[in-house]
Amino acid sequence: MKLDKNDPKLTACALGELSETERQAIEKELETNPEARETVEKIRALGEQLSEHYASEDNAELTGVQRTAIALEARKKSKQKIIPFPRYRWLIAIGSAAAIAVLFIGFMNCFVVVKSVQKKSAAFSSPDFIKSENSLALAQPAPASEPLAYTQPKRDYRKAPAMTKSLQNMQFYSSVAAIDTDAGRPPSQFGPSIEAYNEIRENPFQRVVDHPLSTFSIDVDTASYSNMRRFLQNGNLPPKDAIRIEELINYFNYNYAPPTGSTPFATHLEQSICPWNTQHKLVRIGLKGRVLETASRPPLNLVFLLDVSGSMNNANKLPLVKRAMALLTQQMNEQDHVSIVVYAGASGLVLPPTSGANRPAIMDALERLSAGGGTNGGEGIELAYRNALQNFNEQGVNRVVLCTDGDFNIGVTQGGDLNRLIEEKAKSGIFLSVLGFGAGNYKDSTMEQLADRGNGNYAYIDTFSEARKVLADQMTGTLITIAKDVKIQVEFNPARVAGYRLIGYENRMLKPEDFNDDKKDAGEIGAGHTVTALYEVVPAGLSVDGKPPVDALKYQVNSRPGDRDSSRELLTVKLRYKEPRSDVSTKVSFPLMDSDNSFTQADPDFRFAATVAGFGMILRESQYKGSLSFDQILEWAVQSQGTDPFGYRREFTDLVRNAQAIGK
Amino acid sequence: MNKEKWITSLVKRYERPLCSYAFSLLRDLERARDVVQDTFLRLCSQKPERLKGHEAQWLFRVCRNRAMDLIRKEKPMQTMSEPQEAELAATDQQPDEQAAQHDAGSFLPGMLSTLPANQQEVIRLKFQQQLSYREIAHCTKLSEGNVGYLLHTGLKTLREQMINL
Repeated sequence: MKLDKNDPKLTACALGELSETERQAIEKELETNPEARETVEKIRALGEQLSEHYASEDNAELTGVQRTAIALEARKKSKQKIIPFPRYRWLIAIGSAAAIAVLFIGFMNCFVVVKSVQKKSAAFSSPDFIKSENSLALAQPAPASEPLAYTQPKRDYRKAPAMTKSLQNMQFYSSVAAIDTDAGRPPSQFGPSIEAYNEIRENPFQRVVDHPLSTFSIDVDTASYSNMRRFLQNGNLPPKDAIRIEELINYFNYNYAPPTGSTPFATHLEQSICPWNTQHKLVRIGLKGRVLETASRPPLNLVFLLDVSGSMNNANKLPLVKRAMALLTQQMNEQDHVSIVVYAGASGLVLPPTSGANRPAIMDALERLSAGGGTNGGEGIELAYRNALQNFNEQGVNRVVLCTDGDFNIGVTQGGDLNRLIEEKAKSGIFLSVLGFGAGNYKDSTMEQLADRGNGNYAYIDTFSEARKVLADQMTGTLITIAKDVKIQVEFNPARVAGYRLIGYENRMLKPEDFNDDKKDAGEIGAGHTVTALYEVVPAGLSVDGKPPVDALKYQVNSRPGDRDSSRELLTVKLRYKEPRSDVSTKVSFPLMDSDNSFTQADPDFRFAATVAGFGMILRESQYKGSLSFDQILEWAVQSQGTDPFGYRREFTDLVRNAQAIGK
Repeated sequence: MNKEKWITSLVKRYERPLCSYAFSLLRDLERARDVVQDTFLRLCSQKPERLKGHEAQWLFRVCRNRAMDLIRKEKPMQTMSEPQEAELAATDQQPDEQAAQHDAGSFLPGMLSTLPANQQEVIRLKFQQQLSYREIAHCTKLSEGNVGYLLHTGLKTLREQMINL
């Protein structure tokens, strides 16, 4: 054993927290490892200083009246507890805490996708699917026993049965703790917090015979990554449902070549042996948006819609919002326009449309903002879109930038109503960026949906350096959309593939028929953005997820084994997209030849994306994680750093180390 | 032991530590006292034999729960996992500026205040009360691994700051 001087074991050893056997092992090691010994001695010395410091602290004490009250209470023989007069304040406090908890339960209802709803609709979806192709009924295999991932219906936030279920799935420990007075509850991993996350049900393996097509919408959001980072840096593992694997993967930039032709993005396909299950293959679909030089970008018509309610009154919130918006303002010039709308209990225009060159006026307006009051998000959104529309720039980018912690509690707050409002507004050609701030009562679920409905993107800003990444380094990607409603449909070749599983994108799944339906909304891609999706593929001849293979079909029109076998194609990727101002989509498609590349042969970008996906699968406690472990992830991450110009990948390896230490 | 004596001895032993712990959570002496009084009143309805051997962890846990209730009621938007604003202000101060302001030995409070609140809390429970990881875990509702990690990270930061002095 060779101990690093930063090993948490040394701290435990210095503080006498090791078991007898561990202690002996470490002490033996210390005899030969002077560096580690020095660390232990330093920790002990610091411990003594700290103990002295606390002992010399100006200790507060109870008042004489309070001590007497306790003494009187102690003298009482009966178990009945009598509350002395000053204690009434306490009753009120506890009562209101409970009342807040109850109100909160009601409020949260609107945002949570309830397990039972999903179950029910998944059960009904397969008959629906068959009905739509009635004439082919014979050709259809027996209804699938597994839930159909891509027939998962649109979420309906108005329905919320089985409340208790939904509560179990949320981080709801705080309200529980609020009424919990005594010891005896299981420890919470998350500390006091009332954050809300929708439940994510992992995409299962699909058999190609049942589901030859896999259809989903792209997602360029990155919020889940920075939110996960906040948890890990605070010494907690994030809640499972806070992890959206596609957002972890897409947090990073990959070195895909930009497009050369008229298509706004380039497509890069690659495959290797799946590193966590060597019988399977891993396929990557990588998109790279057209790159726009800052000098040639179109003019911007931006409306900053800023939440200044009481909940934003925190160093990580409003002050960071101001700095982030100031950063964005620095990149504006005379062709651009900025207005600022704030909302709290009421909403108002604090800065009418102002030229980007007039920086002092914008900065001055930002400076004057202060937080207070409730949150009427709905009214603010109305006003912001109205402003964006009044100054609509035909040639430019029209966008509302919403900065909030997502805690809307006044006015239009029902998830469904708010989403409809946004969806309505998105039709006017105005895009939305949602920037999430803060911790504790962070409403991830609300904000992701808003961005999703409002032709938008969603990032979580936890630090100023994250603001710099999203609003300066990748400013054109965040603000300038080069293609909208981008959908991906993959057709698998049954001669080569028995089954497949899309990793992540659970809440972006579409029905096969949605692919050609231009009315179906999907994700946007920004200038220079990269989007990456990974499929775990089960080669033909193997059983899918432990289920036996089904017999070959007799009546399928297109089952011409000769043709298929001659084809070395593993799959074909089809993409549909619309130009930012168009309502008609364009289709492009790319086949991928089957090969047997090993994982180590794959390029570093491919390996890094797979590593991030694997990390997400461990944090989500995925049932498909196979042989994955934090040690393995760390090794791959170190080996696939690439050039990493901004240090994001190095930060990732640090987070893996954190998770490793916390998990122990 | 007679219950009254048991309570009196615990009040004597833990009154001050609990008050400073509650104060560190609430930053308000009046409310800290209320919380501690409430904790001891709750102690009065406990059976001594039930708490035997883990009185300290019980007291600190109940005290913390009461403080959290109060924080939640009055400042529902702040949590202990983020540094409070006053502490963030302190973060802006460079360690060398702090060193210039304090003579050696009294720089600890300043450095402690730059740590995240949850690290400060476990450090206090460890070194003020000499509670074990297990007891701290029980009191703060964190896992033992978590407590170990927070302590390790907090102490490491403090050591690094001392080197920079």
